[in-house]
Amino acid sequence: MGATHTDGGSRSEARLLSAILVVAICLTLAPVLRLFVEGVTDEGRPSLALMADVLAQPSTLSALKHSLVTAGFGTLVSLVLGAAFAFLVALTDLRAKAALVFCLMIPMMIPPQITALSWTQIMGPSSVLLKTLGIAPPLGAPQPLYSPQGIIFLLGIQHMSIIFLTLRAGLRAIPHDVVEAARISGAKGVRTWWQIVMPLTLPSLAAGTAITFVTALGNFGIPAMLGIPAGYATLPTLVYQKLAGMGTTVLAEVSVLAMLIGGVAVAGILLQRLFQTRQKLHLVGSTSQPLALPLGAARLPVEIFLWIVVLAILVLPMFGLLATSLVPAYGVSLRFDTVTLASWHEVLLRQPVTARAFANSFGLAAGASVALIVICLPLAWLMERRKTRLARVFDSLLDLPYALPGVVLSIAMILLLIKLPFTDATLYGTIWIIFLAYLARFFAVMFRPVQASLKQFDPAMDEAAQSVGASLYRRLRDVVFPLSAPAAAAGAILVFLTAFNELTVSALLWSSGTETLGVVIFNLDDSGETGMASALAMTIVCVAIVLMALIQLFSRRFPKGVVPWQT
Amino acid sequence: MKSFITSTAFVLLASTAMADTITLYTSQPNADAQRTVDAFMAANSGTEVDWVRDGTTKLMARLRAEIEAGNPQPDLLLIADTVTLEGMAQEGLLTAYKSPEAAAYDAALYSADGYYHSTKLITTGIVYNTGVETAPTSWGDLSDASIKGQIAMPSPLYSGAALIHLATLTGDEALGWDYYANLAANEARAQGGNGGTFKAVASGEKPYGMVVDFLAIRNKADGSPVEFVFPKEGVSYVTEPVAIMSTAKNVEGAQKFVDFLLGDAGQNLVLDMGYIPARDGMGVPEGFPAREDIKLMAFDPAEALANAETNKAKFAELFGAE
Repeated sequence: MGATHTDGGSRSEARLLSAILVVAICLTLAPVLRLFVEGVTDEGRPSLALMADVLAQPSTLSALKHSLVTAGFGTLVSLVLGAAFAFLVALTDLRAKAALVFCLMIPMMIPPQITALSWTQIMGPSSVLLKTLGIAPPLGAPQPLYSPQGIIFLLGIQHMSIIFLTLRAGLRAIPHDVVEAARISGAKGVRTWWQIVMPLTLPSLAAGTAITFVTALGNFGIPAMLGIPAGYATLPTLVYQKLAGMGTTVLAEVSVLAMLIGGVAVAGILLQRLFQTRQKLHLVGSTSQPLALPLGAARLPVEIFLWIVVLAILVLPMFGLLATSLVPAYGVSLRFDTVTLASWHEVLLRQPVTARAFANSFGLAAGASVALIVICLPLAWLMERRKTRLARVFDSLLDLPYALPGVVLSIAMILLLIKLPFTDATLYGTIWIIFLAYLARFFAVMFRPVQASLKQFDPAMDEAAQSVGASLYRRLRDVVFPLSAPAAAAGAILVFLTAFNELTVSALLWSSGTETLGVVIFNLDDSGETGMASALAMTIVCVAIVLMALIQLFSRRFPKGVVPWQT
Repeated sequence: MKSFITSTAFVLLASTAMADTITLYTSQPNADAQRTVDAFMAANSGTEVDWVRDGTTKLMARLRAEIEAGNPQPDLLLIADTVTLEGMAQEGLLTAYKSPEAAAYDAALYSADGYYHSTKLITTGIVYNTGVETAPTSWGDLSDASIKGQIAMPSPLYSGAALIHLATLTGDEALGWDYYANLAANEARAQGGNGGTFKAVASGEKPYGMVVDFLAIRNKADGSPVEFVFPKEGVSYVTEPVAIMSTAKNVEGAQKFVDFLLGDAGQNLVLDMGYIPARDGMGVPEGFPAREDIKLMAFDPAEALANAETNKAKFAELFGAE
């Protein structure tokens, strides 16, 4: 607390920066490095033998192909859906936009394995819905979703919100006057779109596409629920099946697979960067007034169509989930005399694993949000003030654990923490390994918005505080924290909601007593307890929607920028 | 943050500090596991049971990883098959315990040294959706070309019971590996565990399947549109044995649990939950034929253990499974 002198303050800043940087690097980059070492060594010596061996296996190549096909076409589906909604919502005079945006955010907040579970229940020969309508396919007809097409379709729906959000942000930045100028020069409807709006939005479209592709590539819940029954393995499910069937004896082998997924993910991002740097367009002027093109007579039909799509992708599968959770056994149709709450009662009130999973998921999500605020706020501020070389290198690499698929990070974490250096202790099998993995995974989600908000922050304020003798801690508390709080809150909300529903990382890291909600649903369905899995899934969907609704409800009291889907 | 600390502290404490807690790894369905544990705790007040459920194969993979990391969690295992436990006993991972209740059991149902004791009889037979036109009556019917692409079965790479089923059927002189080759040619789908197989049949997606008896019979009683058949060649079976780990922290509590499962109360519970009890003279649950009418196919655990890896490899080759 004695750092009242300017030089002293500077020295303590340097010390603090180094200390937090070391923590951050250990959290985010050490696991990735450890994974890399595992793949290119054999009993301590550098060797590419294992890598060549694994890459030559037919199962590796087919899983790689499957991953590329599902992630690639899934992204295409997201792109079509997300872009259509983004253009219409951002550029036209549709009504009830806020409600539409809120509904479009929900698919992203519903865990992928629940998306898959709910869709399988409204399609196929046993669908209560199709049976009621009298259009159920005949006995023996395949479940159409247990196929590459099914995986592509659901990946597309799951990730359309990402495209929607990034593209809408880009569209809102287009100033009114540019389009106005084009119109005055005589450009009509379609031409305005192709020649003015499209080129201006390409960078945000490219960025959204790259993130969607990488997210789809790392998705575990959907290919696990739909692909495993069909014998269609993607890289993440191949890793899961190998580890689940053979345990840690195959760690070295799956680490090579993990690196392969990581390689594809990084290639996707680099491709997007290349594309973005070649597409440089500069906008002049302020963005005070976003576009609102009148739809005219087409407005009502377009609105009806959009709401039908939203209902189809949200309400229909939820209805399927609800129906399955209410019947006494799988395959029974839902009637007044067959309705039972037995599955709900069993899973919510009798199974101790449910309460344990709620406590674990809630604790992990809340803990990760708080811990990341504590690390990221001072780190972002110090990195902004003191651009050391190490800080710059870290800045360019810190997205890595988020960009890499969850499976890759989990394997890296097991390798790093199964035997702690210098001791006999291990974190494998404890809740801490999941917690540390969450910190690594969501580091960038918290850090980037905070960093962006601090870049706009005038250093004069901090210097003024320093000149009147405010200590480093005091300045962090009274100047930096209040200014970046909205960005930190937005980051915390995103971290919390995603971590609460997480499956990919915890599927490989859970152990007795450390089950997360995602793991419990996946395992219940896997053991044939579909009714209980559906009841728990419905509960989680409701919790996610209630949390989002509460945030939305209080959004007016928050400073601008706190609610992530309203920026 | 506070709730996080409390919950993690609780989880960490639960496995170490409370002396009278036993940890159970089981492959029983969740609801059955809970009933078993509740009944045990009611009969033995003061002993708490923490339990984790997963498929036998996955549970064993997890346990192997824990052993490698030097921190195996469970005191007790209650999993599908004796073959897995025989292998563990040979590796010295189990503690011998001669339960006084074993006297009421057929000697074939427990390890002579007391490493494991069978608790119930779970057979694998044929399940079909009641919407089909012709009901199968024998294993051979599933390789009939008229139902090509309409059969589901659990994968031996995934389920312990399915691996024993494979060993039993391929070891049968009349069926053998040719039968599995015919199933593969008939495009039978062998993915996932018994749960997924049952779902496929009940939903009508694959109207015919091989599945463990209780899933089909219990769900049929609850209204699922399925029938279960004991094929005329006989059925394969697993016995869901219980065993105490050599690393058990609470051996006394674990022994109490074994005695409870094997005793009258435990076996009546087994009957009540819809399984065939392993203990002599217990009868069968509703929906099953009399015990003497159920024809069990010949099965040799030692041979099955020795052949486990080759069987898995041959199966993977036939079905092109990973």
